Amino acid sequence: MGNQVNFFQFFISRIDEIGTLVVEHMQITGMAVLLAIIIGVPAGIYITRNQRAANTILGIANVFQTLPSLALFGLVIPILGIGIVPSVFVLFLYALLPIIKNTYIGISNVDPAAIEAGKGMGMKNLQILSMVEFPLALPVIMGGVRISTVINIGTATIAALIGAGGLGDFIFRGISTANNNLILAGAIPTALLALGVDALLGFFEKAITPKGLKK
Amino acid sequence: MIELKNVFKSFDGKTQVVDNLDLQIQQGEFVVLIGESGCGKTTTMKMINRLIDPSSGKIFIDGKDITTVNPIELRRNIGYVIQKVGLFPHMTVGQNIELIPMLKEWDKEKRRKRAEELLELVDLPPEEYYSRYPNELSGGQQQRIGVARALAVNPDIILMDEPFSALDPITREQLQKELLKLQDELQKTIVFVTHDMDEALKLGDKIAVMKDGKILQYDTPENILRNPQNEFVEYFIGKDRLWKSPELLYAGDIMNKRVITVGMKRTPAQAIELMKEKGVNALVVVDKESSQPQYPLGLITSNELKHISEHSVKMKDIMNKNLRMIPETMNMVDVLSFMAEHDLKNIFVTDENEKLSGIITQSSILNVITEVITDHKEEK
Repeated sequence: MGNQVNFFQFFISRIDEIGTLVVEHMQITGMAVLLAIIIGVPAGIYITRNQRAANTILGIANVFQTLPSLALFGLVIPILGIGIVPSVFVLFLYALLPIIKNTYIGISNVDPAAIEAGKGMGMKNLQILSMVEFPLALPVIMGGVRISTVINIGTATIAALIGAGGLGDFIFRGISTANNNLILAGAIPTALLALGVDALLGFFEKAITPKGLKK
Repeated sequence: MIELKNVFKSFDGKTQVVDNLDLQIQQGEFVVLIGESGCGKTTTMKMINRLIDPSSGKIFIDGKDITTVNPIELRRNIGYVIQKVGLFPHMTVGQNIELIPMLKEWDKEKRRKRAEELLELVDLPPEEYYSRYPNELSGGQQQRIGVARALAVNPDIILMDEPFSALDPITREQLQKELLKLQDELQKTIVFVTHDMDEALKLGDKIAVMKDGKILQYDTPENILRNPQNEFVEYFIGKDRLWKSPELLYAGDIMNKRVITVGMKRTPAQAIELMKEKGVNALVVVDKESSQPQYPLGLITSNELKHISEHSVKMKDIMNKNLRMIPETMNMVDVLSFMAEHDLKNIFVTDENEKLSGIITQSSILNVITEVITDHKEEK
C-alpha cells in the first residue's frame, strides 16, 4: 500500500515532465505513422495493380517487421546518427507493413463486379480508384493505420535509447536507477496512450465506414 | 447499327476465342448471343464497348469504326448490365444511377429528375428507393437498379451479360417480362448474352447460337426452333423445345389435315359409313362433295349421330353450325383459350386464302400432347 501512495505522489510531482514526454511520444509516433501513410497507401494501391511487385514489397515490409526493434534502432545509428530522425525512421518502417498490407487487402477485396460495372459504364481508372475502390477500402486501410499506431506507441518507448525522448526516457532511467516509480510513470501513460488512441481511431474507423456497408 | 466484320480474338495467341465472326445488329433489334460457357459470347459482347479489343477485324457502330472513338466516351454511350449487377455499395440507389450523368456533368436537378424517372420505369417508387443502399435491396431489385443505371444517359445500345441468371426463377421471369415491356417502349438496340435457351427464345428478336468462337446460326427464334441448321443447334435447343413453347406452335402444326367432307344432303347412315371407312370421328359438311377444299357449312361428329333415330334427316339439319374459323398462324395458346372461351370442341383452320385446311378437334390436341409425352420418354 505504501508503495502505491508513494507512486501517486511521485506521479503527481512529475506530472509536468510526464506531460512533455507524452507530447514528445505522440509527436514521434505521429510523424512515423503519417510518413507510413504517405508512402504505404500509394504503395499498397500500386501493388494491387502489379502482382509481382506485391510479393516483393510485402516481403520487404515483412522483413522489417520481423527484425527486433532494439536491433533496428542500433543498426540505424551509424547511418542516421541519434535523435528524432533515426527514431522516426525506424518507427516508420514498423508502421509500413500493416498499412501497405491493409491497403492492399482493402483494395483487392472490392467487389470485382463493381469495378467491372464502373469500367463498362465508362469510368476512367482514376475515377474507379477514387470513387469506388478507395472509399470501399478506406475502413480496412484505417484498420491498418490503427494497428500501426498502437504498435508504434509501444515501440516508440525504445526510441528513447537513441535519444528521441518520449515516455521511454522514464522507463530506461527507471531501469538504470532501479526506480520502479520511474518505470511505472513511463509505462502506465504509454499503455493508456495506446488504449486511448486505439479507441479514438476505432471510433474514427467506424465513422468513415460508408453507410451502405454497415450492417 | 452494330457491325462486326471478320473479328478474331485470341488471348494466348493460340486458341481463337472469337473466330472470324461476322455479325450485324440492326437499330432497335434485341439480339441474344447464346452458347455454352467458353463459346466466346461474352468476349464478343465486350468487344462492342471495347472492354476487350479484337486481335483483328473491325467493329462499326452506325458505320463508325469504334477504334477511332475514345473508349471512355464510347462506353458512356452504351448501357452495360452484368450478371453480378455491380452496384456501388457505398452509394445510394440515386447516386448509383446518377453516376454517369454526374461524370457527364449534368446539373443536379436534371440528374435527379432522370433518376426518379428511371426508378418509375423499373417499378421502384423513387420516394421509397432513391435514398436506400444496395445492400438493403433484394437481388431482383438490385438488378432493376442495374438496368436503370444502364439507361441513365439514354444510350441507344445496351449490352447485357447474363443479367438475370443469378436470380431465382420467379424473379427472373418477372424481370424478363419487364425487360420486354421496357423494350417495347424504348426500342433500344440490345445485345444480350445468356446460356439459357428459354430466356433467349422469350426475349430475342434474333438469336445467335455460338460455338467455339463462331456463330452457327443467326436467326429469329422461330426459325431456330423450326429449322435448326445443324446438330449442335438442335441439341442446344433441345428436342422437345418446340412443344415446351406453345406460343411457337401454331394451329397449322396441330390441326388434323385429313379433312373428310360429306355432302349436306347425305343421311346419318351414310355419314357413319364414311367415318368408319376413313377412320375419323368428325366430318365436315359441305355444299357438294368434291376433292377441292370448300367453304364448310358445319360439322358432324359421332355425338350428333348418336341419338338420331329418324333415318331420313339430312346432314344439314343435324350438323353443328357453331362454326369458328381460325388462321393456321394462330398459336396454340391462343387456340386453346379461343376454344375455351367459345366453348368449342372443334375448330376449323383456314389457310392464307381463307380456304379450309384442317380441323382441330379435342383428339388432335390430345395427339399433340401424347406426342410430347412419348418423345420425352424416348429421350430418357
